[in-house]
Amino acid sequence: MTAASQKASQNTFKQREKARNADHVGFLKHKYFRYLWVALALCGVCIAGYVMIDQDPRPNGGSWYGYTLGTIGVLLIIWLSLLGLRKRRPTPGHWSLKSWTSAHVYLGLSLIVVGTLHTGFQFGWNVHTLAYALMIIVIVTGIYGVAVYATLPAKLSSNRNEMTRTQMVEALTAIDRQLETAAQPLNRDQSDLVIGALEQDIFYGGAWGRLAGSYPGCATASALKNLDTASGNEATEKVHTLLTRRSDQLAQIRRHLRIRALLEVWLFIHVPATIALLAALLAHIVSVFYYW
Amino acid sequence: MSFLIRTIDYTAAGREIVRERTVYQSSLFIGRAAENDIHLPDLAVEQRHISINQLPDGGLQVEALGTLGFGIDGRVVSKAAVDPATGAEIELGSSRLTIAKEAGDAISITIKQAEEKGAKVDTVAGFALASALPSKRAMAWVFSLAILVLLLSIPVFTHLTRDKAAPGEPAPMVDQVAFDSTWSSGELSLAHHDLKDNCEACHATPFVSVQDNTCLTCHEELGEHAAKPRLAKGMAPLPAGEAWQWAVAQTLGKEGPGSCTSCHLEHEGKVRQQAATQQFCSDCHDALDTRLSDVGFGNANNFGEKHPQFRPTFYTAYGQDEPVRVSLDKKIEEKSGLKFPHDIHMDAQGGVARMAISLPNYEEPLDCASCHALTQDEVGFEPVEMEDSCESCHSLVSGRSGSGFTSLRHGDVDDLMEDLARIDRSPRRPVSPVARGRTRPGQFARGGTYAVNFGRPASSLISINRALMPGGTCGDCHINTRTDGRPDLVPVNIPDRYMQHGFFSHKAHEEEKCTDCHEANTSKASTDLLLPGLKSCRDCHIGEVLPSRAMTVAVKDDEVPSTCAMCHGYHTPTNPWPGDHPILQSTPEGARGRERGRETDSVASLSAMFKD
Repeated sequence: MTAASQKASQNTFKQREKARNADHVGFLKHKYFRYLWVALALCGVCIAGYVMIDQDPRPNGGSWYGYTLGTIGVLLIIWLSLLGLRKRRPTPGHWSLKSWTSAHVYLGLSLIVVGTLHTGFQFGWNVHTLAYALMIIVIVTGIYGVAVYATLPAKLSSNRNEMTRTQMVEALTAIDRQLETAAQPLNRDQSDLVIGALEQDIFYGGAWGRLAGSYPGCATASALKNLDTASGNEATEKVHTLLTRRSDQLAQIRRHLRIRALLEVWLFIHVPATIALLAALLAHIVSVFYYW
Repeated sequence: MSFLIRTIDYTAAGREIVRERTVYQSSLFIGRAAENDIHLPDLAVEQRHISINQLPDGGLQVEALGTLGFGIDGRVVSKAAVDPATGAEIELGSSRLTIAKEAGDAISITIKQAEEKGAKVDTVAGFALASALPSKRAMAWVFSLAILVLLLSIPVFTHLTRDKAAPGEPAPMVDQVAFDSTWSSGELSLAHHDLKDNCEACHATPFVSVQDNTCLTCHEELGEHAAKPRLAKGMAPLPAGEAWQWAVAQTLGKEGPGSCTSCHLEHEGKVRQQAATQQFCSDCHDALDTRLSDVGFGNANNFGEKHPQFRPTFYTAYGQDEPVRVSLDKKIEEKSGLKFPHDIHMDAQGGVARMAISLPNYEEPLDCASCHALTQDEVGFEPVEMEDSCESCHSLVSGRSGSGFTSLRHGDVDDLMEDLARIDRSPRRPVSPVARGRTRPGQFARGGTYAVNFGRPASSLISINRALMPGGTCGDCHINTRTDGRPDLVPVNIPDRYMQHGFFSHKAHEEEKCTDCHEANTSKASTDLLLPGLKSCRDCHIGEVLPSRAMTVAVKDDEVPSTCAMCHGYHTPTNPWPGDHPILQSTPEGARGRERGRETDSVASLSAMFKD
């Protein structure tokens, strides 16, 4: 191997190594925080303009600077909302999805500054402030989303205990089958408790139950509490043991549900609020020029 | 030890077939190979997959024999302990082995084929929060449609279909703008607040900005600052950026700089509207002479720095028809036609003061207020009336009549002549000293029907001449002249307002002494125009406090920041603001407002001012 070809192969190695490293950099640190700097520069320019430009009699969305900020804001909002389309069309190249997401996060944050300055700090019960409020809701849920994506997946993984979701449900089903068999000798009242526990939906509790991890109507907990173990009956003991196992298994599933819900809930506000924001923006802009 | 091995199979029809056998040994091997104790014909199962060993304590030890683990109670392990009393379910491939304790310490192992896993896909989907919430798409549709209908379509629809209310009249329908009101960016100002249910009073046409003509339907009496072409000519060229902005705005239908809405912003809250800033004035007036060479006034940008000397309007010659405007910088004499030395009257030690002290209606030396009374609004002064302010000393009493006195009438030379003639018909001095004390009796006596005056007939003409001459009854204060050969007085010409192109309130200066500004106590003649000049005002009025100064030096107590609008109006530059006019920046509340009756005058004088 000649020295030149050796060097060339080393360069190739370095490039590949660089690419590999880049692949493992998250969207927040993408390109050495390129879009963070872009966003900060945008905010800086907007704030400087707001402070230095004399807006008469007071800052207002309807002044020329107000219209300028509003135009920047609406273009940003439309572009940011296009992430929803972009992520469904994977295209390689400069505008990688990671790059796009990175810009989405930082430029989205800069909207707090651009949008607030556009209001001139004038708020009221009207379609204009509605649009602003929706924008803030979208941004705040977005911040939450970034935060939970950074912290919760680790918890989700540790709670799994190397079980897949299917396995968790199967474990519960296995316990249930044994419970059904074991409960045969029980009397009516006691077996009703077991039936209640078996028939309750694994995902009982609704969205709030998941988020809060609170299941006051849990039939398994209720069966455990009300099962008469004082008699020392062997069958009852066995059912009690199985119910405890069921409860433990359910607890794991519910921890999973809770983390998953905390991880996902922001999108249920972020996305509909974005679409509502686009509608409110349309109403805002039309109304401003309708009654110009 | 024994295991009861129960195999459950199903026929094609679904019937259950149960086979049982008992194995008498303490350990079992399970796998695909036929020699195992439990033979599971499943490729997913190893030849010898697991062993189940009975432990001395009665428990069972389940162990994977190869590298592949096994499922127990839903999880995959390679080793597990099972208490037969509790039981367990071992999963190997598609088979499920349930361990349970039978009667008589026997341990049963029931082998069953696992059910189809088809339903489990949905179970996994249940882990997603989406299964517990309405779909994002549905929520997005509901919210955005609600907004588009309630906050966009309904306002547009109601605006297009409702009956329009005339300005000033109540809306024909209650709450007809309930939905439009969500479009309002703020409450209307106090002056326009009654229009809040009547959007189209100002927003006459959709997508067309508020037009001047719409404003003028109500504000028809409002004067123009100057004729439009002159305004355009006088305006400083806009900076490039601003010109571009206006170009954009005008392309979109805005009327351009100088339109009503370019200064008067609405929907800024239920407050008085704000007047324009000083910059608005100085943009044009800073170098107005470079663009309009025929204007009589100088340039101005800030009262404290650049403002022309005052040019009051007054009479510079006796009997002048119209007052003229002269700068205070010129050598000027006011020819009002009155003689009045202020110094003599205001000297607290002089004869006038002694006289005033002796009079019951003064009882102290004269001061300004003895003659000059503030108008009701305390902005200016009432005209000085001879009868009220002068006559106590400068008496016109001409004789006795019955219980009182007769006076010469003031104000008209003809009246005076008549009054003097009447005096002349009254008793003469006796013709000869002999006749003194002897009068004719009866009806021939003085006052009787037949009494005759034998005095000299020419005396009345002499006395009128004497009265008008300097030192005579009238000549004390007036200047005599002749009109068409007859004796007469120069007419008194004192303007109601000296400063006609700005606004000054005496009320706002009530803490000052009169003589601080008007040098009346040293004025020896009425030809002194006692108006203070620019310099005097600038003692306190420093002009607008520019940001550069505001940052470095604080405004002192005796300094009054004063923008153009403190003394000048835009639409009514010659007159104070009407009572309901918006508050002006840095204008004390009290400095505003005379009665509205003067507005019409102001427009007249305004248009006179900018006639060409």
